[in-house]
Amino acid sequence: MADDVLLQLDRVGKTFRSGLLGRRVEAVREVSLTLRRGESVGYLGPNGSGKTTSIKCILSLIQPSRGAIRLFGKPPSDALARARVGYLPESPYFYDYLTPHEVLDYVGRLYGIDRGTRKKRVPMLLDRLGLAQAMHRPLRGFSKGMLQRVGIAQSLLSDPDLLIYDEPLSGLDPIGRKEVRELMVDLRKEGKSLFFSSHVLTDIETLCDSVCILDRGVAVAQGRLSELLLADRLESEAVIELAADAQEAAIAVLTSVPGAVLCERAGAVVRLRVPTPRVPELTQRALEVQAQLRELAPRRDSLEELFMRKAVHVQEVGGAA
Amino acid sequence: MSTFTSQGGVTLRTQGVGRSLLRIFAVAGNTLREAGRNRLFYGLLGAAALLLVFSVLLSDLALLDQKARLVQDFGLFIIPLLDVASAVLMGALLLYKEIDRKTLYAILPKPIRRSEFLLGKLLGLCGLLALQELALALCWYGVLKLRGGDMTPAIGIALLLSYIEVVFITSVALFFSALSRPVLSGVLTVGVFLIGRVSYVLADLLGAQKSIFSEVPAMHAIGRVLLTVVPDLSTFNVADEVLLGWDVPLHYVTAAAAYGLSWSALFTVAALLVFERRDIV
Repeated sequence: MADDVLLQLDRVGKTFRSGLLGRRVEAVREVSLTLRRGESVGYLGPNGSGKTTSIKCILSLIQPSRGAIRLFGKPPSDALARARVGYLPESPYFYDYLTPHEVLDYVGRLYGIDRGTRKKRVPMLLDRLGLAQAMHRPLRGFSKGMLQRVGIAQSLLSDPDLLIYDEPLSGLDPIGRKEVRELMVDLRKEGKSLFFSSHVLTDIETLCDSVCILDRGVAVAQGRLSELLLADRLESEAVIELAADAQEAAIAVLTSVPGAVLCERAGAVVRLRVPTPRVPELTQRALEVQAQLRELAPRRDSLEELFMRKAVHVQEVGGAA
Repeated sequence: MSTFTSQGGVTLRTQGVGRSLLRIFAVAGNTLREAGRNRLFYGLLGAAALLLVFSVLLSDLALLDQKARLVQDFGLFIIPLLDVASAVLMGALLLYKEIDRKTLYAILPKPIRRSEFLLGKLLGLCGLLALQELALALCWYGVLKLRGGDMTPAIGIALLLSYIEVVFITSVALFFSALSRPVLSGVLTVGVFLIGRVSYVLADLLGAQKSIFSEVPAMHAIGRVLLTVVPDLSTFNVADEVLLGWDVPLHYVTAAAAYGLSWSALFTVAALLVFERRDIV
């Protein structure tokens, strides 16, 4: 395995047994993905799609039923591999009788960080997360946003190469979301690799360069965001200015191109969507009706469109089966 | 490779027996700290101390020369009982609380082995129960002094053996808490305690000339097996010897301690095996 591959899941699945009869519940059916150094991967999926279960498999909290996971080239059960990961659980809970300073000191001891480094690093991180004033107050009085910040601080204590955050922005107020999002942008600039789950699409679009969409335990789409949003939507959009006369006839000519759809008309300017292979035909027709091609660009899906299309597709297949 | 230094210069030392022990002590220390900040623990300790003080009033009912003895008797009964009750309650909740409050999710992904975490929890709880027994013994000593009695080496031995029993019960509770929910863990642990406390009756029946065990060979064999697989907790109860003023020989104490710690080790290893494979859902 190349050194720059930090995390690799190869056809990972998890089946739980529940009830007295041992009924099988497939939480994760098949997930394969690779995360390389410096990458930021968004793990996207609706509630119950298996995001948290697969993250728990990555961190050795759950043993996968099938497939293989490599963390820094080692199995997740290897403590040294886990030492290089900073993990923020979903809705993080810490010992509420401890103060943030004590939580980080305790975590530092588990990482084997010496006392001198802990003494310097713990207040520095708490200060960075805006918890300097509250570092000696017990957590039981903390708001959700403050607990989230404690969670992020403890995930950064060992200066890890890879950050795995499970729903880091859920349950936060708008200001809290903005602060955490900015922090994650900063961490990316510092060279941290990021793997985080969310069902908030805008967060993924802002923070990630790659995504893996999970639905009902299956990775239904994955890859670089820019490529995924262009892939299997081979359409282009053209903005065309029509000549002053016979505009209706010109529109009829343009829309006669197979697959062309008139999206919008504002006076003499029309916006058309056309299959990309038909673009030369459209430009030819535009010349014929003496119209001017103002803009031509490949049409890009929004992440929401992509997600809905993939999730709905899987549900239809699942329903048919 | 025993250490790893991050790009930012933070050195992590995760390998080696010494590091492993430090992690176990870190978890044990945190377990102690949790109890130290729990008002319920102090409430229970206070109630237990009050119960011991109550024995002063109770001793007023005794004949003149029996007052100190009654306090002694009461203490030897109540302190081990309170300690066992604490071991059952806290032991049954030991892992459940960590999973229920989801605190385990933030700890186990760190470079700590599950066995280290479990041993740390066990060590912390045993330390806590030792402190509890010590506090109650001190309180008892005060009450005993008040009634003209004194602490004898035999009483110290009785307390030591009762503590070894508590360590055993804690490891049993830990084993069941790694397997099941707290109520069931508690019930099963109490079951093991009660069976262990009366297993000497089975031994007596096996030795008796006229009993079902001596008359039916198959039952005798079953009885022998039962006696082997069930710990004999009466080994740790020397209250009668202490009250009668008999000596408890050192070789008996050593053998009893080895017996109790061996059973504890067995249940702890079983708990480790179960916890190692458990999915933290």
